[in-house]
Amino acid sequence: MIEVKDLSFSYTGKRMILKDISLKIEPGEWIALLGHNGSGKSTFAKLLTGLLEPASGSVEIDGIKLEEDAVYEIRKKIGIVFQNPDNQFVGVTVRDDIAFGMENLSVPREKMLEKIHFYAEKVGMAAFLDKEPANLSGGQKQRVAIAGILAMETKIMIFDEATSMLDPYAREELLGYIRQLHEEGITIIMITHDIEEAMLADRFVIFRDGALFADDLKERLLVNPELFRLASLDLPAQIRLANDLQDTGRLKAVKEFLWRSSFGK
Amino acid sequence: MAIQFREVSYHYPSGGVNFYQAITDISLEIAPKDEFICLVGETGSGKSTLAQHMNALIFPTSGAVEIFGSKITSKRNKKIKYNDLRKHVGLVFQFPEYQLFEETVEKDIMFGPLNFKVPHDEAKLLAEKAIRQVGLDETYLKRNPFNLSGGEKKRVSIAGILALDPSILVLDEPTSGLDPAGKKQLMELFAKIHRDTGKTTIVITHDMDLVYEYATRVLVLHEGGLVFDGVPEALFRRDDLQSFSLDYPETIRIMKLVKTEFDLDIDIYKQTVTEAAREIERVMLG
Repeated sequence: MIEVKDLSFSYTGKRMILKDISLKIEPGEWIALLGHNGSGKSTFAKLLTGLLEPASGSVEIDGIKLEEDAVYEIRKKIGIVFQNPDNQFVGVTVRDDIAFGMENLSVPREKMLEKIHFYAEKVGMAAFLDKEPANLSGGQKQRVAIAGILAMETKIMIFDEATSMLDPYAREELLGYIRQLHEEGITIIMITHDIEEAMLADRFVIFRDGALFADDLKERLLVNPELFRLASLDLPAQIRLANDLQDTGRLKAVKEFLWRSSFGK
Repeated sequence: MAIQFREVSYHYPSGGVNFYQAITDISLEIAPKDEFICLVGETGSGKSTLAQHMNALIFPTSGAVEIFGSKITSKRNKKIKYNDLRKHVGLVFQFPEYQLFEETVEKDIMFGPLNFKVPHDEAKLLAEKAIRQVGLDETYLKRNPFNLSGGEKKRVSIAGILALDPSILVLDEPTSGLDPAGKKQLMELFAKIHRDTGKTTIVITHDMDLVYEYATRVLVLHEGGLVFDGVPEALFRRDDLQSFSLDYPETIRIMKLVKTEFDLDIDIYKQTVTEAAREIERVMLG
């Protein structure tokens, strides 16, 4: 369970990047965190993982308050995968890289080797363990980064635009892992600009100019095009088409079909 | 032809460090005017490698690339001024905003022209023109690039290339990291520059909706080979896109769903949601 209370953040002490965010996330939820560029989504993710310190307010994860001396405990509970995998490589080989997070959690060596193999296999990178991360393609790097986070076996995972640099195939694959993690009971927080991708989540949390603009089950929000317009977000193409069709005769059935099937993806 | 690839292959020496994906036996021609080309393909298919051949940043292992009359092969030719080619073909890297380094936007944009020995006063004028071309006003010139938003930084870095007045513009995944509104604005900007100047524009992208909406021609790379070169609609009429790890545009995907579900005789090849809606209404309401 994540409990965020009145969370604010500013780099300079003047302009607030995030303003008074309060929300609760229950175990096993799948949330899409949406908002225009600069709305504060990534800052929020960094605050949740202790990569940034709030100006005011608090974050509590499983009853542990996120403070300087609790960061280590919190990192066992929450993992984050970033957009650009180049920013998260530290090791000389893929193996070192997957190990890095576990080393910080003092996982015993035997266990670690086992997990490296298991998770490298899971993301299809087992054949690359001795390679240098620098020589991998973008999609491969992202998979290694994900294996490193998966290996930490945290109960909460944040994906910060993790698919935006991937091609459709690699993207589908990653979304497949995320779905699998969700089925295993992991809490998923997915930051994305892609509304079609966001449709996989159950609940939408929408930021606008650093404030919490909307927070509800997606089906309750999607019926309100004005809300999406104000948040500078697109509706899924399928719903836009449904909205664009006249409301007469057999077209009603098409509209209804488009709505229904846009949720069934 | 402005750029001509003749049986171009690029491979690394075995055991070396592989910064680029290989490409194999690519032949194609690019006109200097009026083409809006999208270059697509799965990660690792060689898109960036191909793009970087277009301004001689990398050299073919075999075959030749002719760029505005200069023939680039595996061997360096002392007569060719490679730097000058880079003025003809402006290449904007992915995440160009990471390459901003001067203390003002103006200095960043002037850097390229000054590097090409353009006099200072003239470079200043070029910067003013370029900043307007990317849809920002002149007050931006005195600002620090690090205090700009992601979208603005991208625009500034694109202005830096435009200031060189290249004949051809090559953009490597220019919209990545932007929200839908930012994406749309940037693509509209390229379309406008293309309309105003006629400069052939080549955009690397994964986004098939953008391809369908903007491209006059699409090149598909798959495992280093050129597997398609034609108009977008001809590509989307094929039923084997999955084998190249490509998606169909959203409108086509949805129109297929509707066509099957309601057994309708609709034309599924509509570029926008509005056109798709009118097509469904035309057939169902008669």
